[in-house]
Amino acid sequence: MASARTDPIPAAQPGTAWQADEGRLAVWTAGLAKSYGPTVALAGLDLHVAAGETVALLGPNGAGKTTTIGLLLGLLSPGHGHVQVFGRPPSQAVADGLVGAMLQDAGLMPGVRVGELLTMVRGLYPRPLPHDELAGIADLGPLLGRRADRLSGGQAQRVRFAVAIAGDPMLLVLDEPTAAMDVQARRNFWRQIHAFAGRGRTVLFSTHYLHEADDAADRVVVIAGGRKVADGPPAAIKANFGDQRVRFTLLQGSRAQLAALDGVRAVHQDTSRVTLHSSDPDATVSSLVRSDLRWSGLEVGGPDLETSFLRLLGEQS
Amino acid sequence: MTGFIALEMRRSLRDVRYLVIAVAMPIGLYLLFTGLFGAHGQRAQGLPQPVELMIAMIAYGAMWAVFSATGPRIAHERAIGWTRQLRVTPLGAASALSGKLLTALAAALPAMALVALTAVLSHHVHLSVAQWLAILSTMWAGVLPLALLGVAIGYLAADEIAFPLTMALYFALGALGGLWIPLSMMPLAMLQIGQALPSNSVAELGWRIAGGQASVLRAVLILTAWTLGSGLVALLAYRRRNTRSAH
Repeated sequence: MASARTDPIPAAQPGTAWQADEGRLAVWTAGLAKSYGPTVALAGLDLHVAAGETVALLGPNGAGKTTTIGLLLGLLSPGHGHVQVFGRPPSQAVADGLVGAMLQDAGLMPGVRVGELLTMVRGLYPRPLPHDELAGIADLGPLLGRRADRLSGGQAQRVRFAVAIAGDPMLLVLDEPTAAMDVQARRNFWRQIHAFAGRGRTVLFSTHYLHEADDAADRVVVIAGGRKVADGPPAAIKANFGDQRVRFTLLQGSRAQLAALDGVRAVHQDTSRVTLHSSDPDATVSSLVRSDLRWSGLEVGGPDLETSFLRLLGEQS
Repeated sequence: MTGFIALEMRRSLRDVRYLVIAVAMPIGLYLLFTGLFGAHGQRAQGLPQPVELMIAMIAYGAMWAVFSATGPRIAHERAIGWTRQLRVTPLGAASALSGKLLTALAAALPAMALVALTAVLSHHVHLSVAQWLAILSTMWAGVLPLALLGVAIGYLAADEIAFPLTMALYFALGALGGLWIPLSMMPLAMLQIGQALPSNSVAELGWRIAGGQASVLRAVLILTAWTLGSGLVALLAYRRRNTRSAH
């Protein structure tokens, strides 16, 4: 599919060396910090996103993801530090039509049809996506004639995505876009994101699902407690944060025996209920079966990000 | 911006609340009141009944047109997050608000024109072209403070109360402003309150021009004061909601 935009982004204003350099980055922040009264939401974030990258901002609730996104979009102003989008202040980048966003708490214009709404939004941007291409990427076909305020949750989500990409923005920002979606909707959604990103666009999304960051992003930036705690390719992040949980009720055995099981990286015990953090749950379970331990009620669960984040934060401080 | 205003306008023309209350109701009330009070008597201002009532209902319809396109809509769009979405498009918050104001003023025009047309058709109201133009244009400009009042409500009131609040204000300004019953028929205290209201001043502009009285100075001063006052409140309310440190 050909790109609708062939001309390059206007270069940043010539200035100091770093400014010229940052002009090539879609997102650049340095020591970015934000507090709400006594609550520190973001405590000095350095974030670089190159043009064309798809980057996941991964972290537990309250990590500072939404604050970061608010600052990137000019919805918030920083307490300290700097933020630039395509080498200019965020609100300027938004006004120039370089940015599209799907916010967590954003809705659709009431009282109008989806097709009318998208035509209006496209009209706000200098070089919008052609109507048919937009309807194709966002899979809108039958929704175009529907009232924007009478859609089901899933349909509204698709239209909100269409509103975000209608202007063919160079940077697409998505704040926990799949939070309210079922599995099928999520799969479709990421297919659409790939179709959009494949046109050379930069995508930055926040999520608290490791597998989603792993599936969809070129690079994962992990934030917790308002700080960046890891930044790297998904595989590396997964190795650090992808611990599975093996849980059971311990009837007989010691903590030392638990820690000695294969693949176990951490042991948590709440009265007799044990949670093992394992890099290899298959190996952990087979060594558990072979051991002298007596146990019941075995469960194996997905990655426990909260614990991994806290462990990493603890190691850093 | 033009696309945004055009779509807002189209939305108004489909809005049942606007069509019924701003367009149909003033026409219905005009026909009802001219029927009840007789078409030939004189009322306040020394104007023929059909002219006096026409101007009252033009003011009444225009008032709801600008209210309905501002207060309840802005409050609702804030609640559902559409305002926030517009802030991350190139339109931006300030243009979105200006667009809303222009839409509100534009929505007043059909409501005003249709009452005038009804008066001409049903009671053969006859005025000079210059009078028609002067009446409609000055009254139209006169609803600006009411539109700003609607904006202030939209940014201050919660979604659930914005509509009833706007509605209550609309009835109060209509009744106390002498649009239903002439102020001259009211007790002195109410007369004095009524004369200070923007709803009365909007109608006063029309009544004076229709009666050939040159002095509209007092009505203009009252409306200017209301414009400054409600404009200031609207601006502060808007800025409070759009400050970049607010969550």
